[in-house]
Amino acid sequence: MPDGTEGPYPMNSGTGIYFDGITSARHQVAVELAPDSLRISGHDGRLRAEWPYNEIEELAAPDSMLRLGRRSSATLERLEIREPALAAEIDVRATHVDRTGSLQRRQRMRVIGWSLGATASLVLVAWFGLPAIAARLAPMLPAAVERKLGDAVDMQVRSMLDPGKKGVTFDCGTAAAEMPGRAALDKLMRRLEVAAALPIPLRTNVVRKDEANAIALPGGRVYVFQGLIAKAENPDEIAGVIAHEIGHVAHRDGTKAMLEGAGLSFLFGMLLGDFVGGGAVVLAARNVLQSSYSREAEAAADAYSTDLMNKAGGDARALAVILEKTGGATEPGVKILMDHPDTKARIAAINRMAATRPPLPLLEPHEWAALKKICAGS
Amino acid sequence: MASLDAGGIDTSGGVRFLGQRRYYWRLLTRGAVLLMVTLGIYRFWLVTDVRRFLWSNTEIAGETLEYSGTALELLLGFLVAIALLIPIYAAFFLAALDLGILGKLSGVVAFAALAVLGQYAIYRARRYRLTRTIYRGLRFHQKGSAWAYAFRATLWWTATILTFGLAYPFQLASLERYKMRNTFYGDLAGSFGASGFMLFLRGLPMWLLFFVPLALAIRNLVGLDWQALVDAVAQGGDDVMSKIEGASPGLGSAIVFAMLMGGLSVALAALLYPAFQTMILRWWSSGLRFGDIEMRSHLRVRQVYGAYARFVGFASLFSIAMAIIGAIALLLADAGASLTKIDAAGPIATTLMLLIGYVVTALGFSTIYRATVQLSLWQLGMESLQLSGLSALEKVKASGRASSAFGEGLADALNVGGY
Repeated sequence: MPDGTEGPYPMNSGTGIYFDGITSARHQVAVELAPDSLRISGHDGRLRAEWPYNEIEELAAPDSMLRLGRRSSATLERLEIREPALAAEIDVRATHVDRTGSLQRRQRMRVIGWSLGATASLVLVAWFGLPAIAARLAPMLPAAVERKLGDAVDMQVRSMLDPGKKGVTFDCGTAAAEMPGRAALDKLMRRLEVAAALPIPLRTNVVRKDEANAIALPGGRVYVFQGLIAKAENPDEIAGVIAHEIGHVAHRDGTKAMLEGAGLSFLFGMLLGDFVGGGAVVLAARNVLQSSYSREAEAAADAYSTDLMNKAGGDARALAVILEKTGGATEPGVKILMDHPDTKARIAAINRMAATRPPLPLLEPHEWAALKKICAGS
Repeated sequence: MASLDAGGIDTSGGVRFLGQRRYYWRLLTRGAVLLMVTLGIYRFWLVTDVRRFLWSNTEIAGETLEYSGTALELLLGFLVAIALLIPIYAAFFLAALDLGILGKLSGVVAFAALAVLGQYAIYRARRYRLTRTIYRGLRFHQKGSAWAYAFRATLWWTATILTFGLAYPFQLASLERYKMRNTFYGDLAGSFGASGFMLFLRGLPMWLLFFVPLALAIRNLVGLDWQALVDAVAQGGDDVMSKIEGASPGLGSAIVFAMLMGGLSVALAALLYPAFQTMILRWWSSGLRFGDIEMRSHLRVRQVYGAYARFVGFASLFSIAMAIIGAIALLLADAGASLTKIDAAGPIATTLMLLIGYVVTALGFSTIYRATVQLSLWQLGMESLQLSGLSALEKVKASGRASSAFGEGLADALNVGGY
């Protein structure tokens, strides 16, 4: 609109500063707003440049001036307007000049909208997609690969768990006096393994670690902590926990967790990059997400344990007993979420599923006594 | 425009900063909120806004700088960098699974490779920023090989670490010489004239203040009978402390002395850091040259301390506010969770609160830091400059082309970015 709102007489000319983009020389110029283009001429009246209005773009500048460039230009020629009235007039004529910032705001809203969409999609993929992918991918891994994965994890786990006490090995059942205990454990394991009929062999070790806990690694390695042996009052309690861990092995939970962990750190860490310590947020988010996976996995492993103990003729309720004693923290790292109501629900579920017929003893009394001494040393 | 001579050059040689602090605060606060809700994707837009603000409001010899980069370029550069890094990360992941020598070495190799790549990215990112900087209708540009720079920088960093920082001034000088002799404004070649040895002499007192207490602490601790101590602890029992004291007399006082010295060293480092930064900034900007244009910085230590004092003030206020809000939110979450029937609702709500609290706190501190220290350092650094030889600005010719934002993307993905 040539008859703009600035006053009765539209401002059709003024002055500016022009840089031709070829040298750094600064030129004081006269600016004239012709019907279809902006004309820039020097003091001698010679036309220096003529820019069609639809090719004019607005560039970053301080508030006190309007900086213009030409879109199709091969050079970085620039025109600087410091007269507000003239700047307003150019704003009216040139479609890409946007002093009110409404174009920019609209573009920014689009960016924000799509970023929110991307965020939602990422969270959904992390929450539902990754567990599904990991659950389908894990059974497809050949046993040899899973075993290799387990061995790699094993090195790390051992170095993390091993308190490095002097004079004793980390593994129990190696010294001469501990051999009968090892034999009792092997008998227990044979009975469970026959009942479980897994495609891969299990490798069980008792280690010198004071917590009442046991862990399963991908590929069939199970670590039983000394603290669990100490807390247990009969072979069935230990067998129940080991059967729970065998459940994790059979369900490939360790492998799934590794795949999920890799996927999560990739999704949040790599794609989103780091804004002020985002790495820590990723770790925390991963913890929340993974412990929610592992709660379901725990329930499934409990069910597996009762089923296996029923099959092996042991007392499936013993798992519930030892769970009550230890407060349910059978997995490292999930203690915050494993508070009492959850443990109670697990105990109730185990007792519901356990067989009612009287159990057969898993070990003879002298074998049980030997197992209790598996970490006694030489 | 009275100070302009016939050719239109403001020969007073001053640099002015025109930006308003209030506007910058608003820009950063809005950016922080958007960063949070977009999980950080907004950062390309925020960085672009920040640079546009800083560049546009910096007036050198009567003309402001212009930043012409766009957020979409940065996003694209980041995506390209990701495409390159995914196979590299995957390879390292597979190598780490290997049980042999390869697996054991993979951590070290990955660290070294990513460190070199980070330096490469720094150089490429600098090229992007320079070619997006326009002044008087001409752009800056940068030649030189990013790999050659990465190689030099890695060697220098190794030397600096091995000498406990004593090589740092020489590193800065050498790397800056490489950067500046490959930097051009149009066809005007840059160079770097400050001497590493001068910086070494000026920095040596600070280095001694930091390292002498630390060295004393370490010497004291090394001199102890650690074996006796370990045995005493291993025996356990009720009275471990007295056993320790028996095994190694004077241990208590030695540990107290070491802690005091260590604490002194850390406190001195924190207190001296603004002075250190001022020293580096002055030294560096006084060494910058473009053709006959030379710069001299009159930055005062007091001014930089002022900027840090403002940061501490705002950060304390923010911490108090966060503590109050956090306490209320946790109470509410607990009350809310006990109303629901789901067992784990309480802990999950608490964890989520802590997560959100962490993000808000981290973003808050980073925003305050940018709005106080970072802006002040930019403004003070610029305004304390005195330029000479500005008549050279009359006849610079255009040269150089815009580069891709790959380096910026890589620097972003590797977390080595700057402004």
